[in-house]
Amino acid sequence: MNQLKLSVKNGKPLKRTVVTVGSVRVGEDFVVIAGPCSVESEIQALETARAVKKAGANMLRGGAFKPRTSPYDFQGLGLKGLKILEMARRETGLPVVTEVTDPRDVSWVSEYADMLQIGTRNMQNFSLLKEVGKMNKPVLLKRGLYSTLKEWLSCAEYILAGGNSQVILCERGIRTFETYTRNTLDLSIVPAVKELSHLPIIVDPSHGTGRLSLIEPMSLASLAAGADGIMVEVHYNPAEALCDKDQALSPVLFSGLMDKLRHWQGALGTWTAEGAVAVSGRHPLALAAR
Amino acid sequence: MTLEEIRENIDRLDGRIVKLLNDRMEQALLAGRLKDQIEDSERERQVLERLRGRATDLIHPGFVARVYGDIMEESKTLQQKKRKLGAFQGEHGAYSEVAARAWDPELIPMPCPEFTDLFTGVEEGLYDFGLVPVENTLGGPVGPVNDLLIGTELRVAGAVELPVRHCLLAPPGADHRGIRRVYSHPQALAQCRRFLARNKLEPVRYHDTAGAARMIADKRPGGAAAIGSALCAGLYDLEILKEGIEDHERNLTRFLVLSREDNREAGEKCSILFSTAHKAGTLFRVLEVFARQGLNLTRIESVPEEPGTYAFFLDFVGSIQDPPVRKAIEAIKGITTRFKLLGCYLEKRVS
Repeated sequence: MNQLKLSVKNGKPLKRTVVTVGSVRVGEDFVVIAGPCSVESEIQALETARAVKKAGANMLRGGAFKPRTSPYDFQGLGLKGLKILEMARRETGLPVVTEVTDPRDVSWVSEYADMLQIGTRNMQNFSLLKEVGKMNKPVLLKRGLYSTLKEWLSCAEYILAGGNSQVILCERGIRTFETYTRNTLDLSIVPAVKELSHLPIIVDPSHGTGRLSLIEPMSLASLAAGADGIMVEVHYNPAEALCDKDQALSPVLFSGLMDKLRHWQGALGTWTAEGAVAVSGRHPLALAAR
Repeated sequence: MTLEEIRENIDRLDGRIVKLLNDRMEQALLAGRLKDQIEDSERERQVLERLRGRATDLIHPGFVARVYGDIMEESKTLQQKKRKLGAFQGEHGAYSEVAARAWDPELIPMPCPEFTDLFTGVEEGLYDFGLVPVENTLGGPVGPVNDLLIGTELRVAGAVELPVRHCLLAPPGADHRGIRRVYSHPQALAQCRRFLARNKLEPVRYHDTAGAARMIADKRPGGAAAIGSALCAGLYDLEILKEGIEDHERNLTRFLVLSREDNREAGEKCSILFSTAHKAGTLFRVLEVFARQGLNLTRIESVPEEPGTYAFFLDFVGSIQDPPVRKAIEAIKGITTRFKLLGCYLEKRVS
């Protein structure tokens, strides 16, 4: 880890980084980022944005440029998707995070989004990392599906070294021999990141498990582990989703998850002095009441 | 060529045909202003005669007669409707047209190549109104318009304050990644300087914003886009790659509505033009009158006439019906070498 100059604490009691995205402060409050896997249409994105806003989400996610495993899968709406996300932001006031997959798109996506997402498959796309490192825009860096913590932090280092200090890490599950779940959600990485680095870390239990029934327990576990937030996939009508339909929460399920998170956070708040939350250094009760 | 490519060509040609038909209808409306009566069978016969001479293998004379019969019928219907014509300088899609439509959606916006064409056109009765920009929050006063305002007998019948929202426009389906050059009026390019730099786009000067949009739509030069109004996107079938690309939010242009007649409704603002003697303190004494009557000035502009002599444009809040306004005007008439009330009118603020 001694090659990492900017992303790790190196024994010094560094101040925790707080990344401001629109009006949301990541690293201070527990944030919930929600929205569809990809922007499919105006009505789908707007309806979903309204639903997640109503349930109390802090930020909207949605893919316009999609890195898909198969070239024959839906590739996203591109620039049109970005315009739809901008409409959703204008209406709901939620800051928007969206993935950028191509160095040539970085400046364009920056014109529309409040935070750029580097996806798991692009974690080590160094030309892309250098490009977002030049931007004055928060970056959500997902963990590569075969990456160690050190490799992950090295990628964060690329962005920080480029001059962009606004990096948020996102654990989204890694490949193991287990096939029941889509990936194995590595929650132990959350306190590990907190020990080593000053960067905020959030958890994506939707990709981490790929199973609807596991999203809620893993979201609550993320909160308990000291994560700075979660990112979950919500679709206004999951049965019609063009991608990841098996892991998309309906607005009703998402609303239930938000209630549970608030309840659990209240309970965790009482432990602050002695326990887990002290590790995260986060203020308790940051989830706003609905 | 594939069927898709051929259809794209056809769509583009159709767009141009409709645009040309629109241009023809505009000329017909102008002709309607000068004709004593709408019906003119001799002229119609001449038009058809000339077009028959231009028949080709594909366009036979009977077809020409049918199509033009319909076109001329429609022209006459439009002439009969006697809708108000509002002139603006520039091509369709110009911000002046956006202002004209905002001022009165019923108005038919009519393009004029130059400001002088607009002024004489309204003076001679070709148009009912003319909308001219007088100042922009970033670019300052519009010099040529102020010069023309001094010499005209036209009245100011209204005003529009329009927020300028620049859009990056490209032909539909163009890949945003391939865009390298952006065409527009130098002022629009300057107002989007930071956006262009962020996205590594090279600014290319063009005579006006709407003209640049039309050129991009017609010629489709590779790797090029234009900066213009959202109205341009609809008129020229262009895609808006990004809306609101100006560097500063407070980018407002103020337009005056010119007419041969005074505004007859209650006004809230007045525009005056005056000159003072070439002596110490003369301008100060005029301004003093406004201060004494408690009138709020919203614009003051000086335009040099002869060396040392200036004409002043002054706008202030108030109606000509208000006693303080009347008192102020009476007082100013006595201390100026020239005085003209250009109009008392309502100002429309577009959000």
